[in-house]
Amino acid sequence: MKAPAGSVLRLAPRRLDPRRLVPRRLVLALLPLLAVAVGGCGGPQSILGTDNPAGERIESLWWVSVLSTGILAAVVIVVLLVAARRALVAGRGASARGASAPGASARGGAGDVPVPDDAWETKFLLVVGGALPALFLVGFLVFSVRTGTAVTDAPGEPGLTVEVVGHKFWWEVRYPDQGIVTANEIRIPAGVSVEVLVSAADVIHSFWVPALTPGKIDMVPGRTNVIRMWADNPGVYRGQCTEFCGTQHALMSMEVVAVPPDEFDAWAESRRLPPLLPDDDEARRGIGVFMATGCAACHAVEGLTHPGAAGSPGPDLTDVAGRRSLGALALENSTANLLEWIRDPHQFKPGVRMPPTPLPESDLRALVRFLEGLEWEGLEREGLE
Amino acid sequence: MMSPDERHERLSRIWAPPPGILGFFTAVNHRVVGMRFMLTAFGFFLAAGVIAVLMRLQVSLPFLGVLSPEAYNQAFTMHGSTMMFLFVIPFLEGLGIYLVPLMIGAREMAFPRLNAFGYWVFLIAGVALYVAYLAGYGPDSGWYNYPPLTGRGFRPGANIDVWVTLITFLEVSALVAAVEIVATVFKHRAPGMTLNRIPVFVWAILITSLMIIFAMPALILTSLMLGLDRIVGTHFFDVAAGGDPFLWQHLFWFFGHPDVYIMLLPGVGAVSMMIPAFVRRPLAGYLLFVVSMLVVGVLSFGVWVHHMYTVGLAMVGLNFFAAASMLITIPSAIWIFSWILTTWKGSMPALNTAMLFALGFVIMFILGGITGIMISAVPFNWQIHDTQFIVAHFHYTMVGGVVLPIFASIYYWFPKFTGRMLDERLGRWHFWLFLIGFNVTFLLMHLTGIEGMPRRVYTYLPGLGWEWLNVVSTVGAFIMGIGTLVFVWNVFRSWRGGPVAGPDPWGGRSLEWATASPPENYNFLDIPVVRGLEPVRDGRIEGDESGAPRPVWLDRLGEAPEGWRDAIVTGAVTAEPQGRAVFPTPSPWPFWSAMALSVAFIGAMWTPWLVPVGLALTFACLVGWHMQELPAGEGARKVGTSPRDGTSPRDGASPRDGRTDGISDSPPGSPPDTLPWRLTGFRSPITWGVLLLVAIETTLLLLFVVSYFYLRLGHETWPPAGTPVPSLLMPTVGQLLLMASLVPAWLGFRGLRNGRVRHFLVGVATGLGLAAGYLVLKALEFAGKDYRWDTHAYGSLDWTMGGYAALHVVILVLAASTFWVRALRGRVHRERRTGAGALLIYWAFVVAGSLLFWATQYLGARW
Repeated sequence: MKAPAGSVLRLAPRRLDPRRLVPRRLVLALLPLLAVAVGGCGGPQSILGTDNPAGERIESLWWVSVLSTGILAAVVIVVLLVAARRALVAGRGASARGASAPGASARGGAGDVPVPDDAWETKFLLVVGGALPALFLVGFLVFSVRTGTAVTDAPGEPGLTVEVVGHKFWWEVRYPDQGIVTANEIRIPAGVSVEVLVSAADVIHSFWVPALTPGKIDMVPGRTNVIRMWADNPGVYRGQCTEFCGTQHALMSMEVVAVPPDEFDAWAESRRLPPLLPDDDEARRGIGVFMATGCAACHAVEGLTHPGAAGSPGPDLTDVAGRRSLGALALENSTANLLEWIRDPHQFKPGVRMPPTPLPESDLRALVRFLEGLEWEGLEREGLE
Repeated sequence: MMSPDERHERLSRIWAPPPGILGFFTAVNHRVVGMRFMLTAFGFFLAAGVIAVLMRLQVSLPFLGVLSPEAYNQAFTMHGSTMMFLFVIPFLEGLGIYLVPLMIGAREMAFPRLNAFGYWVFLIAGVALYVAYLAGYGPDSGWYNYPPLTGRGFRPGANIDVWVTLITFLEVSALVAAVEIVATVFKHRAPGMTLNRIPVFVWAILITSLMIIFAMPALILTSLMLGLDRIVGTHFFDVAAGGDPFLWQHLFWFFGHPDVYIMLLPGVGAVSMMIPAFVRRPLAGYLLFVVSMLVVGVLSFGVWVHHMYTVGLAMVGLNFFAAASMLITIPSAIWIFSWILTTWKGSMPALNTAMLFALGFVIMFILGGITGIMISAVPFNWQIHDTQFIVAHFHYTMVGGVVLPIFASIYYWFPKFTGRMLDERLGRWHFWLFLIGFNVTFLLMHLTGIEGMPRRVYTYLPGLGWEWLNVVSTVGAFIMGIGTLVFVWNVFRSWRGGPVAGPDPWGGRSLEWATASPPENYNFLDIPVVRGLEPVRDGRIEGDESGAPRPVWLDRLGEAPEGWRDAIVTGAVTAEPQGRAVFPTPSPWPFWSAMALSVAFIGAMWTPWLVPVGLALTFACLVGWHMQELPAGEGARKVGTSPRDGTSPRDGASPRDGRTDGISDSPPGSPPDTLPWRLTGFRSPITWGVLLLVAIETTLLLLFVVSYFYLRLGHETWPPAGTPVPSLLMPTVGQLLLMASLVPAWLGFRGLRNGRVRHFLVGVATGLGLAAGYLVLKALEFAGKDYRWDTHAYGSLDWTMGGYAALHVVILVLAASTFWVRALRGRVHRERRTGAGALLIYWAFVVAGSLLFWATQYLGARW
């Protein structure tokens, strides 16, 4: 029979100085990195630096929670490291004492601590691990619930209603009261509470404009969810789909353009008039290409084809020339980009539903010429900045 | 008495895993199976790690071409699915399967063949998943697979079918291991190991297993529904036909959140074994610690909606779930302070790698915990949901809280597994590289999320301020990868030539350290007797050397007097000896059963007709499985005589022989010669096994009923307009027939208990006839329906529930018939009726379950 007890290993790992349990240089190296990181906050889609009362309340919740829990965590971690150091010091002492004793192994048989006071320890844990965190959590929960209530209590009656329908991989935008249909760009009046009714035409998407909405709300087929949107100041705000919706979930973004209320009214008013269809020859030829090539099967242009019904396969192009981007923010809207996009959108957004359009160069230019003319009078493209 | 050398030789021979290639497929020993689980799972960990590095490379800068959008979507789906289903859960189960019997002083798990079966299922499902992935059919809609994106309409390819079928198949493995572990812990603990002496790790694995039993059925049900939606055209999640995608979300997260704690708890338990060993003092507040784990286990079933804050539910409900989620902080804080207090009052001669990983785990767990508190706050969650912040948070809990303790466990128990130590210097390199790499990757990812970068995006536009953050994260991923490679090298090198560890290199305090490293085939030469919470000191079981009374009959039992793989069965609470059980010898049937079942699951991807084929094959294999007679049936008639067909008959040694010199030692209530083979009721491990199976199935049934009413509440009229309310007559008559079948069956089983085989034959045959009547009426009823499963969601529910109830009756009829045929051939009688009680329990369950479905389908439709 094999000996049931093998040779007892003498464990002699390199003795770490307990004071160096965490390399200080590492901490020092990380600190400036964190400072840079925090200083660099506030990018175009940041949840910090929002522009509405709800967002600001959520920011406060974030700062309160990160600071309070951060301090608590830091204290606990320091206590843990101190505890480890104490144990090491005690263990060293014990094994140093035990080393002289005959037969003491590296496991330090002499180092065993006395039988603990179990009842005291349980009480201690109940207080420090149970009661104290409970107190903190009650406070935090109350603060969080109050924030939630404040954020969802709508700031007054909505001044505007917008319906947004999620599609793979773009946003259909409808203004039911104004009779306007557009895509990927939501124009709202600044300083007005906007009620956004969201749903989806195919799969679940999620609507999120971090600077203007109190977080995100899922767009679910067969359901209509509501979220309030509010911009204190005019400007362009970025939003993005946050529920994975398929191949091009990554490039499904949108912009909210907040303009002064009178400018918004003027825009809405201008959209009551029939659109000006282009009048030069090339653009007119472009209409023919648009109708003949099959573009019209998916894309509506008011006054030319039927206005898009909810769930139409492609974005309404009635005001495409006035939009800032193509392909749900995949590309900046320019003549060259539009032409390339039509030629083959998959070079920019592989997996998008729109197929490549193999057209003779002249037809392509005519088509772009026509689309470029789709803009309302009185609406300066650059006037938005 | 035999000398220790004789006993060693004898037990080694009895418990030896079979040699050779054939032996590879037939071994059932728990340490073989546990080690296979761990090694295979670690292989999947490495694969998922490679995928993770590729993903990090792809998103480090905008518009890189490392992975196409499709490849990226497959990559994050595979990474998540692999880490959860193919790495963490199987690895921890493997660790449990390996260690639990050692820690409770047993020689084997309760159902060794089932154990082996679970491994084969895991291996087949995991390999099939990767074969599909490499062939281009990797699932690509996230590990959470929300419909309608995953419906046939939007994902027509096989990719989602691969996930739905293989992950469901894999859950069979998880459930089997869970049943196995619970039954083992409750029935095979060493005498004296009362509930309050169970090691924390065993508690953790036990609670985990119970959670698996109640959580996994939700995943099985919902992926069954999705599979049916995709393969046969039902409408569970199809809004247009009356289904609801939220049904998926509720069911999935009802599984998904407990799953997080299923992964966390074993690590918590493992670390709580190490810290006391390293700081040389018992865990502070053991009882409170265990209660905290139980509380987390229960609470984790009440927080699933915190994954659904943004779907548009009522605020009141959200606040409730926020409070429940925050509540989990309290038991977690108790753990943390228990570790701190233990360390504070302890004495640690050296800081070794396992302890470094344990400390790293506690710190990372704290960090993951505080972001968890933040995101449980509803309004902040609305902003941060589905951003990189969430990715950072759950990696702190899953890498910090699960992978670090797994590494700690490997450093701690590697000596026990292999007999050799891992290299400490490489270990430190591994620790620091992994920890630094991890924090470089994920600490700044919180900021990436704050800056608004969503999850699951293969790329992003420049100018959003995300580039530098992503570059840093990618660098960190490489550092983590290098750390992992150092670890692999360390394991490779140390396994072959590391320093010899000896039985107890750490001063461990639980039973596994009181046996050789690696343990001999039989685990313990003597059946241990446990006299305290921490029974081991310096590699010896406390009390053994002090001359404390140790019953001689126990030692005789420990000699396997009949030459069988046998074990002592003890009480669930106080671990008093109740009887003996014999374990099966190696068997090829677990392997073949897993193969046959894979025909059903994998075949479903091609045609639903392969499902019945696979199930029939599985049934055939199970018959073969049970043809392997356990010798105990014979031995039971005359305790102590050698079995007619035993593996190695021996010269009459029996527990009774121990009497001459051991009777005075026997604990009260269990004199040696009355330790019976024949155990009934809660004394029998088989009863525990079948009750756990019934618990799984009951959960599934209840979730089915909940799903029915969930969809029903979404409808104004139910059944939908144009569909008649189902007639009550035929289903009620059928139901009454089925209920009536229980009476003759019960009488028959009672007859068998009293030795009247004829009563049994008549009674069970009558019962089977009545059950068959139920099936005929069910078939007639459904043949007469003018709607199908693919007509609308109501039809989907009606047909699926009807089919599900009928399937159970079919299984019952098959199982009972097989048993009946054996009885007819004279192979079942009073002394040999293993499984009879289990069959009766299952019969009662099928009747009760079908009654529940009857009430739902026929009364629910009238409500």
